[in-house]
Amino acid sequence: MFTRYLKYILPILIPCIILLLPTTAFGIDGLTQIEQRVIAIFVLAALCWVLEPIPIYATSVVIIVLELLLVSDKGLWFTKVPSDDLGQLISHKTIMGTFASPIIMLFLGGFFLAMAATKYRLDTNLARVLLKPFGKDPKYVMLGLMMITAIFSMFMSNTATTAMMLSILTPVLALFKMEDMGKVAFALSVPVAANIGGIGTPIGTPPNAVALKYLVDDNAISFGQWMAFGVPFVVVMLFIAWVLLSRLFPASEKEINLNIKGKFLKTPKAITVYATFILTILLWLMGGLHGMNSYVVALIPVAIFSMFNIITKEDLKKISWDVLWLVSGGIALGVALDKSGLAANAVNAIPFAAAHPLLLIVAASLLCLLMANFMSHTATANLLLPLVAALGASMHSLLPYGGEVALILAVTFAASLGMSLPISTPPNALAFASGHVKTKQMAKVGVILGVIGMLVTYAMIAILNQMGFMA
Amino acid sequence: MEKIHIICVDDEREVLESVAQDLELLSEVFTVELCESAAECLELMDDIDAEDDHVAVVISDQVMPDKSGVELLTEIAEDGRFKHTKKLLLTGLATQADTIRAINHAQLDNYLEKVWQPEILQLLTKQLLTRYIVEKGIDYQPYVSHLDAPTLFKLLQ
Repeated sequence: MFTRYLKYILPILIPCIILLLPTTAFGIDGLTQIEQRVIAIFVLAALCWVLEPIPIYATSVVIIVLELLLVSDKGLWFTKVPSDDLGQLISHKTIMGTFASPIIMLFLGGFFLAMAATKYRLDTNLARVLLKPFGKDPKYVMLGLMMITAIFSMFMSNTATTAMMLSILTPVLALFKMEDMGKVAFALSVPVAANIGGIGTPIGTPPNAVALKYLVDDNAISFGQWMAFGVPFVVVMLFIAWVLLSRLFPASEKEINLNIKGKFLKTPKAITVYATFILTILLWLMGGLHGMNSYVVALIPVAIFSMFNIITKEDLKKISWDVLWLVSGGIALGVALDKSGLAANAVNAIPFAAAHPLLLIVAASLLCLLMANFMSHTATANLLLPLVAALGASMHSLLPYGGEVALILAVTFAASLGMSLPISTPPNALAFASGHVKTKQMAKVGVILGVIGMLVTYAMIAILNQMGFMA
Repeated sequence: MEKIHIICVDDEREVLESVAQDLELLSEVFTVELCESAAECLELMDDIDAEDDHVAVVISDQVMPDKSGVELLTEIAEDGRFKHTKKLLLTGLATQADTIRAINHAQLDNYLEKVWQPEILQLLTKQLLTRYIVEKGIDYQPYVSHLDAPTLFKLLQ
């Protein structure tokens, strides 16, 4: 009985205890009151995201409001009483600004592109055309499905892509014989490809956006640069996943016929959508050539689609604001850790420098992979990336191995590779709902791909480092 | 988790019980309520609405003493509080006029003939529940194992 309420009690009790302790109790020299409050907010966030007493996006909003109340320059009166150990108050504009940070705008642009593509059926029509060359042999149809799912999930939400591909797939799977293992392979291929595909671009999945927050100044990675290593990674992983799935669950069916109805729309509005889609992606890929960064480019489709009434007032209401807020909360958490000075202070107090840098990369990414299997990928990234970024910035022994960038990328990729349970990601939940996959089968594939994915990530980072990418 | 109700209406106790039996699998996560008359059903819906709970599906017989199934479902269709509630008519004795009225006025979602196959009733109810949950914007994740997957995929696109 008591344990049932633990998930409500712990997130209230533990942060309160942290607030009541003296500042000297944390073993960090010169810890200020503000820094102590940031620790409490961070612990609250961690407990709420892990135990989920409230929706995960609500936790993000709570973080931002608590920061405004407790550590901002316009917070509650008693939080600002001057004293020697008060510390640095954070500008309320900076905290509120996380709702509209450039990273959020980048995602908003991505949402607009995805919504317009779905509305004007660009996605299903492309799927129909792209699937044709793969013929009717189940093995190659699956490869085609996975590639298309991955490409779409680079620009659309992984969940929407999965729902679309599964709805194409279910009528076909219904024709398979009862005991045909091919059904498992097909049902799993879609979420696996969607999860992996998200890694390919900065807007593919929210953890990538969170990572961009910490890849700034000398470490900045452009849209094109991200794709330059992200897409090859996706290709390698997809191939491995395809081989694995077709070996583990071979189809006995000889032929499979995917029937996708529809024609390309040729109305002026639809053509505007196609043109804007291509233009935006080209501008993203060109990087600095035109002087605009990816954040500025992302707002171009927002303007065009609003202007031509392609995304209407009603469509606007369907935007996943929860995802945007979830990321905002993560950014706000990072801002508080950084601006209060806690990040730098805490890293100095803990003797990480003694550990081998490679050990640190492996440990941090494996922790991330483990967490991402049991909780939201974005929440995992929100919690781990600010810590990892602070750590990476201060560890000079990391430099020969790619420095901060290597550490951040390893952890970010790990967040997307957590996919061994139905609860790991919404795409997994949908595939599980189809009724063709057992948890054990999903776990087997997910664990193998998670571990191989990490090894491929390390290899990729080593190669990038050799090429001088992270110098 | 939201409390979501399925209401079955029939003046014959045995029919009600056999419907309830067919929907037993769904009663793990949804609440299946049995009413013996249209009046009882409307009263129950009033109470459920007052609790801020959901009436997702009403499964009604056509031929009943004081108020027919079509009359009941029409009343529900015209009530703004239940505009998302899905309606299934279960009958063996409907005239063509009844059927026309059922579709035009009661905005029937499904029509099932007595005697029905349990799997069909279960499937139709699952589809209606899925539509209700997505249309109402309720988080579908906790219910996923009791929903109709193809309908869900279609609605989530």
